[in-house]
Parts: sequence; structure tokens; C-alpha cells
Amino acid sequence: MASQLKRVCKRISDFCNSCERNQSPSGSRRTFHRDVEPEEFQYASSHCLSSYYSVFVVRLAIMVMLAILIGLLTLLTWHFTRVYTAKSLENLAFALRYELLQRPILRMWNILNSTVEITTAQVKLSEVVIRRYSKPVDQAQQVELYEVMRDVTWALFASRRALNAITINYRNGFVQAFHRDHRSNNTFYIYSDLVNYSISGAYDTNNLSSRGGWSDQSIHNNTTASWYREPLDPATGERIGKPRKIPPDELINIAGISQVPDGAASWHVAVSKYTDSPLLSVALPVWDDANGSIVAVVGVTTALYSVGRLMKELVEFHSGHIYLTSQEGWLLATSTNAPLLMNSTTEPKLMRPTNSEDPVIRMGAELLMRQFGNKFPPNHEVHVENARLGHQLYYIDSFFLDLKRLPMVGVIIIPRKYVMGKVDERAFKTLVILISAASCILVIGCICIFILTNGVSKEMKLRAELISHLDARRKAEASSNYKSQFLANMSHELRTPMAAVMGLLDILMCDDYLTNEQFATITQIRKCSTALLRLLNNILDLSKVESGKLVLEESEFDLGRELEGLVDMFSVQCINHNVETVLDLSDDMPRLVQGDSARLVQIFANLISNSIKFTTSGYIVLRGWCEKPNTCSNTRKFPHNGKESWNTHKRNLKQYARHENKVILWFEVDDTGCGIDPSKWESVFESFEQADPSTTRTHGGTGLGLCIVRTLVNKMGGEIKVVKKNGPGTLMQLYMHLSTPADTIGKHCQLKFTEHNLMVLLALNGRMGRLIMSQWLQKNDVFTWEASEWNELTQILQEIFQAKSYAEPRESSKVECLSKQKGKDSIFLVVVDIGLLDLNTDIWREQLNFLNKYSGKAMFAWILNHDTSNTVKLELRSKGHLLMVNRPLYKSKMMQILEAVVKEKNVELQQKLNASKTTTKEEGDLHVCLEMDPIRYDAASSDDSDKSPSACPSQSDTVNNCLDSNFTPNDQNHTRSNFCENSKSLELSCCSSKVVNGQKSLEGLRILLAEDTPVLQRVATIMLQKLGASVVVVGDGMQAVDALSALENDSARNETKIGECPLYDLILMDCQMPKMDGYEATKAIRKSELETRSHIPIVALTAHAMSSDEAKCLEVGMDAYLTKPIDCKLMVSTILSLTRRNAKPLLEAT
Amino acid sequence: MDGVAQLKKRLADYTTSLYDEGYLDDQFVQLQQLQDESNPEFVVEVVSLFFQDSQRLLSELAKALEQQSVDFRKVDAYVHQLKGSSSSIGAQRVQRACISFRNYCDDQNIEGCLKCLQQLKNEYSLMKNKLETLFKLEQQLLEAGG
Repeated sequence: MASQLKRVCKRISDFCNSCERNQSPSGSRRTFHRDVEPEEFQYASSHCLSSYYSVFVVRLAIMVMLAILIGLLTLLTWHFTRVYTAKSLENLAFALRYELLQRPILRMWNILNSTVEITTAQVKLSEVVIRRYSKPVDQAQQVELYEVMRDVTWALFASRRALNAITINYRNGFVQAFHRDHRSNNTFYIYSDLVNYSISGAYDTNNLSSRGGWSDQSIHNNTTASWYREPLDPATGERIGKPRKIPPDELINIAGISQVPDGAASWHVAVSKYTDSPLLSVALPVWDDANGSIVAVVGVTTALYSVGRLMKELVEFHSGHIYLTSQEGWLLATSTNAPLLMNSTTEPKLMRPTNSEDPVIRMGAELLMRQFGNKFPPNHEVHVENARLGHQLYYIDSFFLDLKRLPMVGVIIIPRKYVMGKVDERAFKTLVILISAASCILVIGCICIFILTNGVSKEMKLRAELISHLDARRKAEASSNYKSQFLANMSHELRTPMAAVMGLLDILMCDDYLTNEQFATITQIRKCSTALLRLLNNILDLSKVESGKLVLEESEFDLGRELEGLVDMFSVQCINHNVETVLDLSDDMPRLVQGDSARLVQIFANLISNSIKFTTSGYIVLRGWCEKPNTCSNTRKFPHNGKESWNTHKRNLKQYARHENKVILWFEVDDTGCGIDPSKWESVFESFEQADPSTTRTHGGTGLGLCIVRTLVNKMGGEIKVVKKNGPGTLMQLYMHLSTPADTIGKHCQLKFTEHNLMVLLALNGRMGRLIMSQWLQKNDVFTWEASEWNELTQILQEIFQAKSYAEPRESSKVECLSKQKGKDSIFLVVVDIGLLDLNTDIWREQLNFLNKYSGKAMFAWILNHDTSNTVKLELRSKGHLLMVNRPLYKSKMMQILEAVVKEKNVELQQKLNASKTTTKEEGDLHVCLEMDPIRYDAASSDDSDKSPSACPSQSDTVNNCLDSNFTPNDQNHTRSNFCENSKSLELSCCSSKVVNGQKSLEGLRILLAEDTPVLQRVATIMLQKLGASVVVVGDGMQAVDALSALENDSARNETKIGECPLYDLILMDCQMPKMDGYEATKAIRKSELETRSHIPIVALTAHAMSSDEAKCLEVGMDAYLTKPIDCKLMVSTILSLTRRNAKPLLEAT
Repeated sequence: MDGVAQLKKRLADYTTSLYDEGYLDDQFVQLQQLQDESNPEFVVEVVSLFFQDSQRLLSELAKALEQQSVDFRKVDAYVHQLKGSSSSIGAQRVQRACISFRNYCDDQNIEGCLKCLQQLKNEYSLMKNKLETLFKLEQQLLEAGG
């Protein structure tokens, strides 16, 4: 049992180990997963698969363990219940068997004892009697002796009913015996014939030494002796029958002298013919005290059947078999009815138990024989358990009874069923129940495990999925990173060819031999390439925004001008769509703001182009107004009910208001397009999101625009959203924070038109633009009329001038007012859209003639389309309509027109006063000026993409200067007929002057170039020298700083000589240089400048093209930033803008 | 005169091939534009400057990469210089090689750097050959009386 247990334990421990081995790799895997090592992901899929298997294996292992556990429990339970009961029962059974056997043996002992007692008593009595009659003198005395003996013997015999016989064998051969036949229940007295025995002869003392006369031989072979048997009454002993002669030793064994050879008592087992059971016979000699000789032998035989009966009784009660054998192995008594004696031919004999007729006894005896043979253990005690006899199991026990002279062996055979039957049955039942219960539990347990681990396996599955998702996401992110990286790397490669295209176009534009048309075409190409570059920039912007590299510039720019340029650009597109583009900026908008102009323009360009895309007719209005944080009441009410939703933002704005010079600029882009579904109001700002998937098909586009817009607006501290609109279309509102230079606020609109009594008739096609313009003019105290078509225009004109001529006040109070003011020498301006004329036929000439009638009374300003043909323009000029502007009309254009009108009026007045010749020439100049305007703005807006907004003031300055110079009465002998050429040549001269400025534009500038690469040194030097600048080259930052400090020392020394003017006007600084790089050098220079309060412009030269590098450059105190390779134009414009700004105060000072 | 025309044509073809194959870009055109009477040998001068400088830088680079522990910042600085000068004369293939070189430099990948250095040397010698041929052609044209 123990070894089995050990084996089981070993198996379990083996199994546990294997389980651990199975589980430990999965555990380690799990930790890996938690760490989410990127390399691990490659193995994730294989892990998934193996994890399925591991779950399966674990499940199986748990089930097997459960099975083993339950099996063990069952076994243990069964074992303990069974073994303990069996053991205790066995102990009891052993005691029982012992006890059972003990009783017949005790009985046997009793029988022996009583037999011995009787024998001893008989012997003693015989001694007494024989002593009395020791000297028999005659026959009579002898007989008397025998009679006495007979009586005494009878008395003893009768007292023990169990006795079989008592015999007395006298020395002389006389025999007296009582015999009891238990079967027939008869009692007999047996005696021998007295005749044959002489008294004298019998008791010869000489014969004492030789015992021949006492031999059994003498008795048995004494044929002469005759024996008699007479039946007796068993109770009284009286003779009840006649004595019959019987052969000697016929009935019983007469104990003779031979049985007591040494004079001591002897025992033996005998058989008799008349009993079927063995007899126990005891013989004792009767001693004669006088001569110490044996006078008689007393023999007592006792039947052992009572022992057998007792056994039978016991066995009946307890079942089983008992038998006793003598030491020699003769069967003495059994518990069965089987005969104990063997009937041989001559006489019955004792038999061995192996020959017993009872099969159980026989088999038991045979078994014992087989196992032990004749070599019994010393004490003859044998216990055999579970001996199989026949079909049954038996307990066999033998006990040895060591009686003196008659040792006996008792064997008891008890069927196992009797002792252990119930127990075995119970044990079997228990086993069955236990096994069935265990298997039930096992099944249930397995099901439970399956159900419970099902969740785990699901979790594993989910986890595997999650891992694969993570993997996929990481891959996606990586690819997105690669994309960003790629775009960032591409930025240079993409821009370079574009720069080349645009540069070549610029060169072409400067060509002197271009016709007007060619020039226009080239301008168009230039615009398109600008747009393409813008698109490129958009895509690059997105990648920049995505990679978080977008850094906003912070520079001053003219907001109004930027937006006007934008509207100019888009109006060209809109004309084809029959959509008018209107710019409506309120007057409180600051002119100059700080911020990233390019990004701002990008925002509105995206928004407007988006609107144009979806608007087929109607208008697109870009409204703008300003909310100053310190004034809570807005100058302008929100036009729509989106106000509440913005309240939260306004609270934020108030916090924001602590910063000085910060303004909140509100804009809205309002169109009459198809509108956006309210559910899409948020999502349209997502990347690659379009309100309607079909949009791409019908309108094209990538869905990037609004995303970029929102990102940019958020970057500028603002927000954008779609707002509910009353009519059809979309209304987008946005606000942003921009700081303004403090002094510029409120500097605009100084012109007071009221002084000049201006009156304006707006004859414009577009309803919205007209409305806005007239509202604005009226706010500025200018009287307006509105006309939307030719007939209306003529009607109004007639009404006004009739009223004027007839001085007859008509219904309109305006006219009355007007007529009042008429007296005060007012200016009447008619703004006519060229679209009002009927250009398809020749009617427009007549219409012009009609208008000509009023030319003396009113001034005319014309709004031209971009595609207005030259013939129309020429005709207009020939008619003297010299104020012409391109669409669209917005405030600053209006203002310019008004200023021009006022100026002209003044000139007219002057000329009238001075009686000068012609006014036409100045008008011609004016016309040039105004016609140049849009081109100028286009140039400005296209330059935005080159990130040099600072270049535009310089250009506009040049133009203005050019105008100023033209305005001097140098060329007075020009005639009207030369106008066309004149204007053209003027245009060209403007351009060429630009070019000339570009080529020698750096004349007189002193530039310090800090550059370590010799090649670049050389190139840059030549470039700058060609442009007219004088260049000093140093090899690193240290030298640059030294050069400057030396200079400062010099200037300190020669202060009187040089004055405020520094030696260098500008420094071109390479960023990466040995010893001291550009950043360090700049910092050092700026530090030293703190003392002198001067500021040398420093331009960074770097091969890094990212705006983060730009930010770094500006952070250390550089003023501008140029990328390598050096673009000549960009460099010139940058240098000019920087030096100009610096030069101005100097000039003013001088 | 025919010889001159032929030479002119060859020069033009060669120059175009240089542009087409991406050896040169518009920066070289700008360089040529800068050449005038005051600096008749400007392009040759700058290019030979470039050759000298590049030769030096390449040997420095080789030396730096041979070191036991490579100082990547130093290598990076050299490559940056080379990139700047090559872009200034319009040698864009050299410049591109420099860009990839710098990427490896950022990753501190020595094998990549060595590979790039080899590539850079190749590009540089190629460039040098091409430009020298170009100058020779120009020289011939000049001698022929163009």
C-alpha cells in the first residue's frame, strides 16, 4: 500500500512539474505582452496560436489533476472504512474462534479429568477392598471379594453416566467389567468364568518378576476362559437378564497389565465395535501395599461423543466446522455427523481427518497438510485466513492442547462469510457508491472547469486579437511616421522645382520684349504656380501639423491688405460662377497685426475656396470685425443666433484680455451655397472628411482644407465652427487672438469725406457688395444711391440732374439734401460696373455716350472685369473715364477712388486757379496708379507663399515712389493720344525699375558674411557683390563677433567721425560653423549690443529647411532666415526689407 | 567655324545631360550667371574651391569614422558642411548622398555611415570627373575661338 502511495505521489509530482513547465513559458510570454516590446510583436501571431494550445493543455491538466484527486480521495475513504473494520472484526473473529475451540477442548479436559477421577477412585477402592481380602483362603472368600468389588465398581459406574466402561482385570486373570452401550442404552456386566482361575496360582510371588502370566496374551488367547455378559438395569444395577457367554474382548477393551507397564496411569484412544466414536481409555494399576506388586488393573473408558455433541451445538449456532485430533493425527471428534471411524474388514479403526467424509473437514485438513505437512509449528498453532475450500473462503485455526500423555490438536474452520460476510458486502457497496460518486464529481468538475476556463480562453483570444490590433496600429503609426518623414524630406525636393519655375517666370516678366498679352499670360502662370506651391505647402503643412512641427511666425503684417489680395484673387474665379465675392471689414479692425500672415491667408483661402466650390450663384461674404478684450460691449452685434454658444469662449477671452494689445478678431465666411447638414457641422473639420461623399465626385478636393483651417485657428488661440444661418448656405464663424502694435490701433479711416460733400451713385451688379458698400459709405456720411441695372442708373441720373437743373425738390429727402449741398460745390461720383453695359452688341458705345453727357457734372469710376477687352478700356479712356479698378470693389479701393476724386478736384481747382493747361495728364497717372493696384496686390499675395511678407511694404514703397516721381511735371509734353503707349511704358518702367532695383538694389550696403564653407563663401560674395554690396567675409562665428567688436571699438574711437552709422548694415550668418556656430555668435552679438542699444540685422543662412529651425534662429535674435542654396531674389528682398527698416529712422534723423 | 559650332553643340549636349541625369541643378545656373567680365573664371574658381574643400572633408570623415568610438556630432558637422557646399554649386547628387548620410548619422549607424561615405566618395569623384570634363570642353571652345 505504502509503495503504491509513493508511486502515486511520484506521479503527481511529475505531473505538477510538467504542468509548471508547460505554464512557465506562457507566463513569461504574458509579461512580455505587458511590456509590449516592439520586437515581440513579430512573434505575437505565433504566440496567439500557441496560447490556444496552452489553454487547452492547462485545461486538460486541471481535469486530470481533479480526476487524480478524486480518485485518491475515493481510494483513501474506501481503504479506511474497509481496513479498519476488517481489522477489528478479524480480531474479534480470532477471539471468537479461539473461544469456540476452547470450549470443546475444555469439555474434553473435563471428560479426561472425570475419567481420571473415576479411575483413581476405582483404584483406591479396589486397593481397600483387595487389601481386606488379601489372603483369600478359599473360593468363597474369593467370590466374596469379587462381589464386593462388583458392587463398588457398580457404584462408581452408575455415578458417572458418561462412562463407557469400567474394567477390572485381576492378577489371576479374572475380569470384571461394566459396560454401557449408549446407542441401545443398555448396561451390561461382563465377567469371566471363575472356574478357570485358581487363586493360588494366580498370586504367585515368584511370578512377580516375570510378568508372563499377566500378558494380554494370556487373556486374549485364553480360549479356555469363558466370558459372560448379563444385562443390567441401568438405574439399579440389578440383573434383568441371563448371562450370556460371549467371546473375550468381544465388546470392550479390557485394560490389562500391558497398559501400565511402569505402574503409572496410561491414556490412549481406543475404538470399540459397538460405538462409532473413539473411546478414551485410562488404565491404572492397583498396587498391593504389602509386597508392592500390582494386583489388578483398573481401566476406564469414556466415549468422546459428548465432545462431538458439544461441538455440534456450537457449530449449529456459529456455523463452521470443528474437529479434534490426537497428536498423531487421528480424528477424535468432529462437529459433523460423519463417522469418525473407518470400517475396515476386521474392526473399526481410527481415521485421519484427511479421510473424513465431511468435505470441508477433509479439504481443510488437506490444506493444512499441504501447507505444513507434518512440520507443524512447535506449539501447533496455525492461523490460515482466506483459505479457499471448495467455493468458499474459510478461516482455519488450529490450537494445540498439551495434555499429559494425550496431547490434542483442535482445528476450527469457520467460513469467512459468517464473520466478514456483512463487512465484505458493505465494503463492496461502499466501493460502488464511492466510485459512482467520484465519477459524478469528476464529470461535474470537468464541466465546471470547462465552463470556467472558457472565459479565460475567450480572454486569451481577445488578448491575442488586441495584440494583433496593437501591432497593426503600431505599423500604421510607423507608416504614418514614415509618411511624415517622407513629406518632410520631400519638402525641399518639391519646393526646389517650383522655385525654379517661379524664378524663371520672374525672369520672363522682367523681359522687355513681352507684349501685353504675353505679360498677362505669364502673370497668370505665375499665379497658378503660386497656387500650386500653396497646395504643396498645404500638404506639407498637414504633415507638419501631424508631426507637431508647425510653428507660427510672429511678424507684423497688414491684415486688410492680405485679405483684399485674397478676395481679389478669388473674385477672378467667382466671375465665372456668377458669384460675387465681398469683403466686409469693419472700420475698427486694426490695420497692422502681429501674427503669421501666411497662415492667416491660408485659413481664409481655404474657407473661401471651399465656399466657392459649393456656391453656384449668390455671394460669398468675408466679414471681419474686432472685439477688444477690454471693451465688453461689442461694436457690432452678432448677426445670428449663434451668440449663446460662443458665450463660453467669451469668458475665456476675458481671461485672455489681461495681455496688452491683444485683440480678438472675429470673422465669418457667409455663402449661399448648398449648405452643410447640421449633423456634419463638427465632422467637416476632421481630416479627409467631406460633408457628402459625393462631393469628391462633383467638386473634387481632398478634404484637407478645413482640417488645416481648424488646426491653424486653434494654434492662433481661436476656434471655428459652423453656425446656423437663416437663408440657404453656410456660415462659418471663427475668432482668433492676434496682438497688434499698440500705436496702430485706430489709425485708419482718417479721411473725412464729409468735408468734401461726397455723393456716390453705386451702379453695381452684385446686390450684396452694393448693399455693404452703401452701408459703409452712409456710415461715413456719404450719400449714396443704388442702381442694379442700366435703366435704373439712367433713371437715377436723370432724376438727380433734373432735380439739380430745375431746382425742384422731388419726393426723396435725399435729393433735397443733395440739392442743398449742391450749392456747396459737392463732388458727385458715379461708380459703374462694366457689367452694366451691354458689351455683347455695340450698344455700350451709345451707353457711354449717354454717360458722357454727365461727365462734366459727375466723376465716373469704372469697375472692370479681368477679362474686359482692351477695346473697351481704350474707349473708356478716350471718353475720359480714367478711374478704373478691377473687381471686386472693397473699402480700400473705394477709398482710393474717393481720394483720387478728391485730389483731382483739388488739382482741378488749383489748375483753375493757376489757369494751367491740361488735367488729363495727371489723370493718366492716376489711372496708371489705380490700374497697377491689383497687380501689386497679386504680387504681394504671391510673395506670401515665399514667406517674405516683409517684402511687400518695400515693393509698394517702390511703386509709390515711382508714382511720386512720375507725378512731377517732367513730362508735360505728353499728349492724350500717347496714352496707350504711355501707360504701357510706365508699367514697364515700373517693372524694369524693379529689376534694376533688384540688380543693383544692394548698392552701398556693407555686409558681413560669416560662412565657413569656402564654396558658399565665394558664391555668396560674388552674388552680393553683383548686387552692389560690399562684402567682408569671415570664416566662423568667433571671427564675426571679433569683427563686430573691433568695429564697435573703432566706432567708439571714431565716434565723431562715423556717428551713429555702423560699419556693417547686415550680417549673413551661417548657422553651423566651427569654433562658434551661428546661434552662439548671434547671442554674443546681441549681448554686446545691449550696451550700445544698436541693432544689426542678422540673417541666418542654413541648410535646415524646417520652420523649427527658423524658430530657433529667431529665438536667438536673428532677424530673418534664408535657406541654402541661396535664392538670389529672396535674399535681396530680405536684405532690403531689413536694411530699409533700419535705414528709415536714419534717414529721418538726417 | 564648324568645329566651333560642333564644340558648342557638344558642350550644350553635355550640359543638358548633366542636368537631365541629375548631377547638377539650377544652382549651377545661378553660379554661371554670376560669372561676368569682372570674374571671368568665377565658376571654375568656385568649383575648384569646392573640390579642395570636399577632398579635405572626405578625408576628415574617413578619419573620423575609423576611430574606435565615432564622434557622430563631428561627422555630422562635416557632412553638413559638405552638404552646404555641394548644394551651393548645385551638385545635387552629392547633396542627396549627404542627406542620407546625415540620417544614418542621426541613428548613430556606423555601417550605414561607412556605406554612405563610400557612396559619397563615388558621387564626388563622378561629379569631379563630370565637371572637369565640362570645364575642359569649355576651355576647348574658348581656345577654338568661341
